[in-house]
Amino acid sequence: MPDFSLSPEQESLRDMARKFARTEMAPHAAECDKTARFPEEIYRKAYELGLMNLNVPTDYGGSGLTLFDQCLIVEELAYACGGMTTSVIANCLALEPILLGGTPEQKERFLKPFCAEYQFASFCLTEPSGGSDAGSLRTRATKEGDHYLLSGEKCFITNAPHASLFTVFATVDSALRHRGITAFVVPRSAAGVIPGKDEEKMGHRASSTSTVRFEDVRVPASDRLGEDGEGFSLAMRTLDMTRTPIGALATGIAQAALDHAAAYSLKRQSFGKLISEHQAIQIKLANMAQAVHAARLLTWHAAWTIDRGAKGTLESSIAKCFASDAALHVADEAIQTFGGYGYMKEYPVEKLLRDAKLTQIYEGANEIQRSVIARELLRAYA
Amino acid sequence: MDIVVCVKPVPEPETRLRVAPDGRTLDTEGVKFVLAGYDESAVEQALLLKEATPGSTVHVVSCGPAPRTEEVLRASIALGCDKATWVEAPALLASDPIRAAGAISAVLRGASHDLVLCGKQAGDDEAGVFAAALGELLGAPDLGYVVDLRWDAGAQRFRFQRVTEAGVERWEAPTPLVVGLQQAWNDPRTAKLPNILKSRKAAIARVPADAAVVGHASEAEKFELPAPRTGAKMIEYKTPEEAAQRLVRILREEAKVLP
Repeated sequence: MPDFSLSPEQESLRDMARKFARTEMAPHAAECDKTARFPEEIYRKAYELGLMNLNVPTDYGGSGLTLFDQCLIVEELAYACGGMTTSVIANCLALEPILLGGTPEQKERFLKPFCAEYQFASFCLTEPSGGSDAGSLRTRATKEGDHYLLSGEKCFITNAPHASLFTVFATVDSALRHRGITAFVVPRSAAGVIPGKDEEKMGHRASSTSTVRFEDVRVPASDRLGEDGEGFSLAMRTLDMTRTPIGALATGIAQAALDHAAAYSLKRQSFGKLISEHQAIQIKLANMAQAVHAARLLTWHAAWTIDRGAKGTLESSIAKCFASDAALHVADEAIQTFGGYGYMKEYPVEKLLRDAKLTQIYEGANEIQRSVIARELLRAYA
Repeated sequence: MDIVVCVKPVPEPETRLRVAPDGRTLDTEGVKFVLAGYDESAVEQALLLKEATPGSTVHVVSCGPAPRTEEVLRASIALGCDKATWVEAPALLASDPIRAAGAISAVLRGASHDLVLCGKQAGDDEAGVFAAALGELLGAPDLGYVVDLRWDAGAQRFRFQRVTEAGVERWEAPTPLVVGLQQAWNDPRTAKLPNILKSRKAAIARVPADAAVVGHASEAEKFELPAPRTGAKMIEYKTPEEAAQRLVRILREEAKVLP
């Protein structure tokens, strides 16, 4: 019998994340959005409470949560601020290649000291000339004896200006395409690692994003994850694990939009009655509620599938794609419910639309998700 | 130092309360029970004292039914309490502060305690009776509205303040002492995620409420929701003079409170 109820443990994790999100994050969301401030004091507190390295096993100093439990937390955080949530969970993405591809010695060496302190790591895959087409990346890794020289540029790297550790994907031979890609762990302190200036973004403005240039950065062979040419598969397996929480993040934004719209409809009057009594608004709210509910259940199902040991590529792509489309749509409808007020920055819903937009793009654009879904689907019929 | 904190599971502050069909209790179906703000401050005070006084332990005690009582005890363990005792009692008994104090005092008589901390009042009925009743039953001095309690090891006395309408009083007292803590003066901490996970597996001692206290003290006779307020009336106006004229007319002709 499938069971959709949360255990008392899961409820208490969710409650804690909710409390943190609503008391620590939400009061600063509008201000950080307006000024594009990276609120270190909030991130530090998130780290201290154990909300930052959710996927790292407790043996290495992380929180060691199942993907399902991570999703419960991420939805709550995103309800308060999508941008802050992106920065809080970026370590999960950056550290996942080490969890999946690192030797026990590498995990010990990289994860333990990293998790013992408040710090950021960044996942460096996307390049200026290609994001979705990861096989064509140009950052070179040239082998010289017992080390590699890394050179090239990455872009749209979350938290890069603040990161002390980078997981970097580079090619040992671009002619090999996917089969040349190799993954490395690179500390910020290595000579030639140069993060760029903060990008001005449409949304997620409490988060920080920049380019990172690697200028002949010397990386010991012992800091390579897996073998030469195993990087592409490692990147894809990483995204298989981290795509589902993006569904949760989008669900949190969508739930916030629905809550704002429903509450507003019970206060605002037009034509002599509350707008919640107009069928046009009721239909809107009903459709928004369906989208939020479906986004959450698809996310839960994907997380449950992966927690049971399955790869979950299809399920996580469906969850991420559906939830992010839902978030954009629900935020749009929330603005429409608010009318002219919704378009004003003084009200909270236009931010939700700007934040929702990114969830359709990052960690695999929805076009890629749909091609993955189609590929997985057609495989079953071929 | 052996510190005891008494906590009470109360409905989440945002709960929309419903009266049960019997008219004498609240319908708790689907209601989430949490630590109240007063109790959070009491737990925080206990943890601050423990951190300042090496060798201290914090023992959290609560009286009530499953599952709400177990949940607030686990929440207290997640915050840093060392051990927990669940005095099992039906909701009706636990909702009576005198009987709850009776049930908990029976447990505390057999447990070492230098200091018993409570919220100054419960977060639901706000009765403000429990701490005084417990102090009476334990034969210990009890004081409410307390903030900033510290242990002076040299003098072997507690030093603390009471916040009253007349001002702030400074007090000192020996062990054992029972106090009711003021709310939110100490910015209660949030439980860390690993501690929440550990708290789920922590052992909780379960003690049935003493049969002797299952008598009668007080019981709610009837619960009623206040009648819904009829909508306020907005006066449309263009100038303040017009607003005043219309208001006077309404007060005179409709409300009939002016001659």
